[in-house]
Amino acid sequence: MPDTQVLVNDFLNKLKKRKIEGSQATARQTAELLRSVISQQRVPYTNQAGALIDAVKAVGEQLIAANPVELAVGNIVRRVLHIIREEDLSLTTAAIGGLNLSAVSDDENDDDRDGDSTLSAAAVAAAARSTLRPPSLQTLLEDTPVSAAVPQTSSSGGDSEGKTADKSSRSRKLKHDVIEAVNELIQDIVTCHEQIAEQAVEHIHQNEVILTLGSSRTVLEFLFAAKEKKRSFRVFVAEGAPRYQGHLLAKELVARGLQTTLITDSAVFAMISRVNMVIVGAHAVMANGGVIAPVGMNLVALAAQKHAVPFVVLAGSHKLCPLYPHNPEVLLNELRSPSELLDFGEFSDCMDFGSGSGSPLLHVVNPAFDYVPPKLVSLFITDTGGHNPSYMYRLIADYYSADDLVVQRRATAGN
Amino acid sequence: MQFDDQGRVNKSKKRAVFNQPEAKNRVELFRHLPQYEHGSQLTDLESKFLELDSMHPAVYKVGVQYLAGDVTGGNARCIAMLRAFQEVINDYSTPPGKTLVRDLTAKISSYVSFLIECRPLSMSMGNAIRFQKSRIAKLPLTLSETEAKAALCNDIDRFINEKIILADKVIVRHAATKVRDGDVLLTYGSSCVVEMILLYAHELGKQFRVVVVDSRPKHEGQALLRRLLAKGLSCTYTHINAVSYIMHEVTRVFLGASSVLSNGTTYSRVGTACVAMVAHAFRVPVLICCEAYKFHERVQLDSICSNELGDSNDIARVPGRPDVNSMDNRTNEKNLQFLNLMYDATPSEYVSMIITDYGMIPPTSVPVIVREYRREYLLI
Repeated sequence: MPDTQVLVNDFLNKLKKRKIEGSQATARQTAELLRSVISQQRVPYTNQAGALIDAVKAVGEQLIAANPVELAVGNIVRRVLHIIREEDLSLTTAAIGGLNLSAVSDDENDDDRDGDSTLSAAAVAAAARSTLRPPSLQTLLEDTPVSAAVPQTSSSGGDSEGKTADKSSRSRKLKHDVIEAVNELIQDIVTCHEQIAEQAVEHIHQNEVILTLGSSRTVLEFLFAAKEKKRSFRVFVAEGAPRYQGHLLAKELVARGLQTTLITDSAVFAMISRVNMVIVGAHAVMANGGVIAPVGMNLVALAAQKHAVPFVVLAGSHKLCPLYPHNPEVLLNELRSPSELLDFGEFSDCMDFGSGSGSPLLHVVNPAFDYVPPKLVSLFITDTGGHNPSYMYRLIADYYSADDLVVQRRATAGN
Repeated sequence: MQFDDQGRVNKSKKRAVFNQPEAKNRVELFRHLPQYEHGSQLTDLESKFLELDSMHPAVYKVGVQYLAGDVTGGNARCIAMLRAFQEVINDYSTPPGKTLVRDLTAKISSYVSFLIECRPLSMSMGNAIRFQKSRIAKLPLTLSETEAKAALCNDIDRFINEKIILADKVIVRHAATKVRDGDVLLTYGSSCVVEMILLYAHELGKQFRVVVVDSRPKHEGQALLRRLLAKGLSCTYTHINAVSYIMHEVTRVFLGASSVLSNGTTYSRVGTACVAMVAHAFRVPVLICCEAYKFHERVQLDSICSNELGDSNDIARVPGRPDVNSMDNRTNEKNLQFLNLMYDATPSEYVSMIITDYGMIPPTSVPVIVREYRREYLLI
């Protein structure tokens, strides 16, 4: 569709140029883009789910490649794929349920029942072979895309008249259901702050001292909610160089009447002995419970562990990534411009390539993210409640399908 | 001095040489430490130049240098102060009716309180002053005034030479044995001893890389970086937030110290504790390089009971970032405080070894040195 292509290209440009700030905004825009892709995708009569999945995978591959460090994009793509599979499954089970009922109603004749039950068994086997089940050896060895197998085999059983009526209503229904579910997903993304903030009063008591680093909207809403419930507490904000987002957070907190002290990141170890709790936001949460967070967070987490201060991470469910991190400091990190650390004007004479080997003497390292291992995190607070880091892998089963971990279109011709 | 005791604060204000307005928004935890509005102090002191008859110009000059931040670092401040005291002693003449010992000690004490007003003493300076006073007190009474003055100046020279200059040379020799080819050495901020070690090891021809870690608000690492690059060492520069990222490649960490306390705690520039903690987490050895005259018999558990508070405007203002600097006019807002700590205390379990002029010792041996070698002062 030319419309969607323009939208997709536009979004890809924005991702490549890092124009979109924050995982919530990225997640919402990705979901809206995929919603338009789905609604404009023409689905064939048979195998609607397969077509939708392929369309989403095609777009999703490009989106993920545009900004591999922004894990929220991949998360939303996988969520949408999971939604498509789920909706397809529920429609298929409804259809099979219809077949089963018609089989059970004939219970005078044993032979008939056997025949009908064999039919429904075939339909059940077809459903079992759908992409919703975990991949079995049979499906893996099949060359044809698995999703293609579903409607064909189910069309082989049952009344043909009922089936055609069934199929057309099913095709309309599938897209409709998927789009409704994606709307719910967008709604969840937008309201994740409120759901997390509702839990604030359970964790913050009176006269508490809280430490945070950088700026996160989730943390802001969390602290405001506790303030609304008349808990009095003080906040130490570490400024989070070199972006200095802590200054902005401190401004907002002070505007709402919270006692705030702004400290440098180097003073974190000095001050943490007088802090009751560390509450921070995250950029992404990995499947092992590890956290990708703004640079400097590992420092805070280690200091908190040394002084036995609880380290609480607030994350909306769109930040949960089904991948396990391997060498995250390098592979899931971005290096930003050295000019944020050193003034080019002052150090330009040191940057010359005059030494013998031809390489410059000075390297400036300015990573954007930090990895915090799961053993340093005490608690995750998500919109579904509080969880231990060791539990995060279970939440993946709720939101993602195992087939979607690698978002790649299969290179087969049979479609 | 206890700055939360109002009576004492008022008494000291009466004796003060120049006017220091107290900061308005003070952090509750640090009420026991002095915090002043830094903006007007320097101009105030400079304006008082002609009024200070009792102040020796050399001491005045050193005070202004401290206040303006021109002289920083434990060794530099100590040497500047002792040289000023040498001039004081040379120009001194005993007034009639008074003894040299008592009068000179009183004069030195008044100069020291002036220097404290400009900037609180570092522990190295405290030790040097105690040494000075004990030398004055030990003067034999049979000496004439000129002989006494010469002896005192001699003592100061010997102190500076033995305890600082030669001690640095010994430390550099010891530490250079710990640098191997292919090492990646990390240092934080700017310590003169660590700089000497790196340059010496480079001269010996060892092949290594240096990582300079820096932090706000002073960015002291940039000056060190420039000097190292000028000598041809290959350096990596980063901010303290990124120290977890860079620690994977590091083989050794060299840190300087303002002082080492008797429970093995290292008292040094704020951020040193963070660097040592991350190095410990990554199993990288941490070596503290510190002259023995900086050891102190005090003990300290955390960075809050005793510290120095710097200018809060340094935190509020971020140079070169106008979007963030709209905070500047908020320094007087009631709910918002800025905390600019100068020092922090690194626990002894993060330190692998302390390199001093008495050798390379573990942190647990510091009280032994304080006890055994303090007698040296008495024997000179």
